[in-house]
Amino acid sequence: MIANRGEIALRINRACQELGVATVAIFSEADRDSMHVRQADEAFCVGPGPAARSYLNIPNIISTALITQCDAIHPGYGFLAENARFAEICGDHGLTFIGPKPSVIALMGDKATAKRVVREAGVATTPGSDILASVEQAEDAAASIGYPLLLKATAGGGGRGMRVVNDASELARAYAGATAEAEASFKDGRVYLERLIREPRHIEVQVLGDEFGNIVHLGERDCSVQKPAHQKIVEETPAPNLSALARGALHEMALQASRFVGYTNAGTLEFLVAGDAAYFMEMNTRIQVEHPVTEMVYNIDLVKEQIRIAAGEPLGYSQSDLAARGHAIECRINAEDPRNNFAPAAGTVSKLVFPGGPGIRVDTHLYAGATIPPYYDSMIAKIVAFGDTREVAIARMERALRETLVEGVHTTIELCLEILASPAFRSGRYDVELIPARILTNGEVGAR
Amino acid sequence: MAKAAYIGIGSNLGDRTANAERALGEIASLGSVKRVSSFYRTAPWGNPDQPSYLNAVVAIETTLSPRTLLERLRSIEERMGRVRGERWGPRTIDLDLLLYDDLELDEPDLRIPHPYLRERAFVLVPLAEVDGRFETLRDALTESELAGVVRIERESVTEMPDQRITSVTERIAVLARFLSENDVARVRVERGDEAIEVTAGGRGLSSLRSREATAESASARVDTIKADLVGIFHLSRPAPSDGDAFDGDRELGYIEALGIRTPVHSIGPGRIVAVAATDGAAVEYGQALFLISRGR
Repeated sequence: MIANRGEIALRINRACQELGVATVAIFSEADRDSMHVRQADEAFCVGPGPAARSYLNIPNIISTALITQCDAIHPGYGFLAENARFAEICGDHGLTFIGPKPSVIALMGDKATAKRVVREAGVATTPGSDILASVEQAEDAAASIGYPLLLKATAGGGGRGMRVVNDASELARAYAGATAEAEASFKDGRVYLERLIREPRHIEVQVLGDEFGNIVHLGERDCSVQKPAHQKIVEETPAPNLSALARGALHEMALQASRFVGYTNAGTLEFLVAGDAAYFMEMNTRIQVEHPVTEMVYNIDLVKEQIRIAAGEPLGYSQSDLAARGHAIECRINAEDPRNNFAPAAGTVSKLVFPGGPGIRVDTHLYAGATIPPYYDSMIAKIVAFGDTREVAIARMERALRETLVEGVHTTIELCLEILASPAFRSGRYDVELIPARILTNGEVGAR
Repeated sequence: MAKAAYIGIGSNLGDRTANAERALGEIASLGSVKRVSSFYRTAPWGNPDQPSYLNAVVAIETTLSPRTLLERLRSIEERMGRVRGERWGPRTIDLDLLLYDDLELDEPDLRIPHPYLRERAFVLVPLAEVDGRFETLRDALTESELAGVVRIERESVTEMPDQRITSVTERIAVLARFLSENDVARVRVERGDEAIEVTAGGRGLSSLRSREATAESASARVDTIKADLVGIFHLSRPAPSDGDAFDGDRELGYIEALGIRTPVHSIGPGRIVAVAATDGAAVEYGQALFLISRGR
């Protein structure tokens, strides 16, 4: 069973078709005419439009899997993909959850616990302090971590109870401000210090582990091109402008942490990278949106691998058998308006042309006449370009984006073209500030 | 504003009656069903070697545009014609949009009124049954044309009462009483554009939901009782069948999911127009189980 919708449901269906595995799709009333419903062997409506009552409706999803005699459930990404309880319920009903063990999902799902665990595995996390009892303790901790620093509320969220501390002279005042604000906001004034990484890069490592203890990495993906709310929009592999030493260290850290927790199936470890230093941020215990770039350069079908691993098959290759070739870039096409703070745009697609030709892959559930419901993620397509070199891949991607036509809703196509054309992206020297600081503020997006 | 639309149903593969009833159930989700014709066995058009067809016409009121309605009909055809492993397999059901309000449309893929309308007995006979305006056209058919369309004997033509049934509060009170008397956790009744769900707990009455709070309910004549969970559908014993009239609360069936049986009830007086789901078959969320005509 494919417990998801949109392009990832189609992606999983394709892998199943090629493996000769029959599929059952689930859908909400809003997705009745969706492509994933048409392509699956069987399809069941599990609830009304809002995800809480359909794609998150565990009883109806499990009931569907049981009455259609499914063996396994692939959760895709989002929805129930990282819900340890759901994975456990699947097991209780004799259904194989295609992903890591529920205990590992739970362990890595909590950010604080995940950081503690990977530190035990000897992997660097952002340097920081324990909870601070006084401003004196804060001064001692600050001196050992080094400036600039971030004071963060332990109960925090949304930037409240957070202060940037550039040097020692600012610490006392920031400490008083952060504790007072945290107390007022969360009734919990406890704060701690963390090293502030300025203009970091966001690089993640793909891992794959079988149930016999074999774990390999499949290189890294640079996901630094992010919209203001940390949503990725352009990803590439290999990461440009990264020393061989730093790259090797990243891969090694990912393997070390994965081995330590006994990781199985596909997973991704996200790191903040500044220069040659890398700090573990979090782990995603599922297939990622941007997995196709890795598939392109390694010539491996990650979703098929997930299914094979869940079926109890060994990987059948070791790290030394794996070699990446060429360069791949992915652009996410979202139905949203970059000129209007990325407001999601529901509506009907009146005209649709997708690109083709050498080195281009399009993963989408869209078709002309399709209605984009307002309930779900706004991503409507992923365009992936492959080239022997980064330059070839960029040129192909630009060509592919210009071939693409989506009428009826606003999209991020123009924004992606802006990003590809920017000198920072061209040079490969960019970080998470690329869109907020350099693309959105120069007015080019608004001008077009 | 809801518009009147007439839809032709045809099937010549598999269990034709079951196909037509399932299609009726699916069509009920596109608007509110006003009238359903008898089912007719008709000689195949064109190739006489084909098995005979089952034909019927249903009148609905819908807020969907003609094009959206057509797309929904296509999607029902596709879903019902699904053969495991065969993506674009043969269709067990044909659904034609015959008429939409007083619209006249002539586009390559959508012609309204449907071109069959003025000449084909298999459309005109059931259509005249649900709308008297077409009786003259039907009567103009030749005897041999009419002979090819034979009514299948079943109690499916229903007189639709015009009067407002009980008020919402009265019906909730009836449901609540039912819950407390029968030690049942939840009961859900759908009628036309509104759904009432009453859950035991606290004071025995915890939720009331009304979809599209337009005053449509007064004119709703055929109610659709739909599944609100995924599971295996069973008819209660003795099994209700088409044409059965009932008074008071009637348990019509239940859905079994994850080891729990959830009963499906209807409040009378009413009559079963069609049992839209198959006993012992899997049902999905929102699938029509019964079409009920209200009143005596």
